[in-house]
Amino acid sequence: MEPAIALRGVTKTFGDFRAVDHIDLEVPQGEVFGLLGPNGAGKTTSIRMIMDIFRPDAGEVRVLGQNLADGTKDRIGYLPEERGLYRKMKLSDMLEFQGAIKGMAPAAARKAGLQWLERLELGGWKDKKVEELSKGMQQKAQFVAAVMTQPDLLILDEPFSGMDPVNQDLFKDVIVELNRAGATILFSTHQMDTAEKLCKRIALLNHGKVALTGVLSEVKAGFGKNSVLMDFEGDGSFLRSLPGVASVDDYGQYQEIRLAADADPQDLLRASVGRLTIRRFEIVSPTLHNIFIELVGGEQAHA
Amino acid sequence: MHKVFMVIRREYLERVKKKSFWIGTAVFPLLMIVMFGIQFAVMFVTPAEQKTIAFVDATGRLLAAMAQGLDDKLKDGRPEFVLVPEPVRGSLDETRRSLEPKVVEGKLFGVLTVAEDIDSKEAFRFYAKNVGNVMATERIQKALKNAVVGLRLEKSNLGLDRKTLDAIMKPIDLGTFQVSATGESKKKGFLQTWLGTFAFVMVLYMSLLLYGIAVMRGILEEKSSRVMEVLLGSLSPDQLMTGKIIGIGLVGLTQMAIYVVTAGALRGYFAAQQAAAEWTSALDAFSPAKLLGFVVFYILGYFMYTALFAAIGAVCNSEQEAQNLTTPVSMCLVIPMLAAFFFVNNPDSTVAVVVSMIPIFTPMVMYMRISVLTPPLWQIGLSVLLMLGTIWLFFKGTAKIFRIGVLMYGKRPTIPEILRWARS
Repeated sequence: MEPAIALRGVTKTFGDFRAVDHIDLEVPQGEVFGLLGPNGAGKTTSIRMIMDIFRPDAGEVRVLGQNLADGTKDRIGYLPEERGLYRKMKLSDMLEFQGAIKGMAPAAARKAGLQWLERLELGGWKDKKVEELSKGMQQKAQFVAAVMTQPDLLILDEPFSGMDPVNQDLFKDVIVELNRAGATILFSTHQMDTAEKLCKRIALLNHGKVALTGVLSEVKAGFGKNSVLMDFEGDGSFLRSLPGVASVDDYGQYQEIRLAADADPQDLLRASVGRLTIRRFEIVSPTLHNIFIELVGGEQAHA
Repeated sequence: MHKVFMVIRREYLERVKKKSFWIGTAVFPLLMIVMFGIQFAVMFVTPAEQKTIAFVDATGRLLAAMAQGLDDKLKDGRPEFVLVPEPVRGSLDETRRSLEPKVVEGKLFGVLTVAEDIDSKEAFRFYAKNVGNVMATERIQKALKNAVVGLRLEKSNLGLDRKTLDAIMKPIDLGTFQVSATGESKKKGFLQTWLGTFAFVMVLYMSLLLYGIAVMRGILEEKSSRVMEVLLGSLSPDQLMTGKIIGIGLVGLTQMAIYVVTAGALRGYFAAQQAAAEWTSALDAFSPAKLLGFVVFYILGYFMYTALFAAIGAVCNSEQEAQNLTTPVSMCLVIPMLAAFFFVNNPDSTVAVVVSMIPIFTPMVMYMRISVLTPPLWQIGLSVLLMLGTIWLFFKGTAKIFRIGVLMYGKRPTIPEILRWARS
């Protein structure tokens, strides 16, 4: 089966800045795919090329089995990073318009829009002007515009940014539901834990290149099942200098300790007993967060 | 097509639903009426003044004919000119000098002297404080000429009696008619010419400017509110641009239609009331041929100018930033307006013909020419063809600029950069 999205050797340069540098990327149909990477890594530029908003300088973009044409855009739901709505329009009118330019009949678009507004608890606002909505509500309205056409492919650029946990869950539920119904979902995010929960596959972009891509579980396995989560009382500063310990990450509530490839976690446990009061000792795969930091470098992860 | 239509529908409905559209539509004719009223006030309501003229006639035979010739009446029915015969005291010059203080004081409008030998050099002189009053001096000259010609005929040996002389000297009344291609010649009054030309030219100018800028504003707003990217997720830039330009153009046409229907209704009303003939004939300015010309040049002009305004909207981030670029474009509309009197008075001059063939000026200048005379059909045809070519070029360029510019934020590109995009 042909992938839902395939980028081959795609390059895009703005002036002297190479935003995307020979990217190869495949998003298989029916999967949830996470596009990760620090700010300025080329995520949004890649998405804009997939949406045919930018034309690549080199390389090929194929979406839903073809070069993106007018008809294909109708099968894609798109939530851009830059949220934007017609501020002076009534919410229901605006959704009708958004559906209509995706090829729906205006009446059907209005009906679908209103149903989705109910689903996302915005039903009471349908006759209000967009500018009267709060920022979070506007983001929900834009999410509605992206999903209301029952797209085969849903592309979400930073869908969770700025949303409270309740609404993040609401979005997550919709994403899972649409995926179960057969839609392919590509989303970009900075939130590694969300990506870890939702994605089957990920790609990590850095400096316009694909730093890492693949099925999430395999990616993590590739980094070894070599991390230990420890929660303890006492001064753990000696842990850093133990043989076989590669790095220690202090999260406050617990510490994530990455071991060298050949090190035995049992040695770590033995060395700790007696010196610390251990409450938790868990051998885990490295988190996506740590993989991200390891690949991208600490200074950029906080940017 | 469905998508373009949906964009048209949104642009049209969102604008026509707004109160400001209806207020603007109503205010514009009111503005015209006020301007119109001021013109009339200046021309007709200026206080009518009687002009007393001392007439020093050394021949002694011209007074009657002069009085007859200067029989103009003021609005209130009083005669406009009052001739006061003054006997010659000493020489003509002395007599005139003795009367001059009265002219300075304003008791006399002027002193008209006629030498005894009417064939001598400078036999006729007029002394006044204000010799710049062309209307008055022209009237006096005309009356005097008639009187003198009468006197000469009388003095000649043709043996004409008074009655024959009067018949010969009977003034004529020149009616003015405009010849049109349809073959019908119509008597044109001032009101009609004014309405038929300047009012329409004014509407054309205002509409091209206002709706062109409306397109630019719409694009700037979509850029600044970041709607643009959402739209481009569903539409191609070409679809968006086309829909927007047509949608806003239809709003403009709707406004025109409202005016035309109102004017038609007014015309019918005046005809039914058999109101002032001048008003009815004034509304003849809304003849079908003229309206057709207006609509054609409005539509073509609209597409030409909105292509430019759309390109400006695409490369700028704010109206302030756009100002530098809109000024030269609006100047292309303003300049023909400033020269309107020239084009209307000399519609067939080489300058007018050439300028009306320059596409960017065609809508305004060709329309002015059409409204005062019927230019050769080949000229109209050629100008329309040239405009269509220009519109095609502009749209190709604008579509490219649009594609690159609409998602560009930050520094405005320079004009050479913009031109490079247009050609790419």
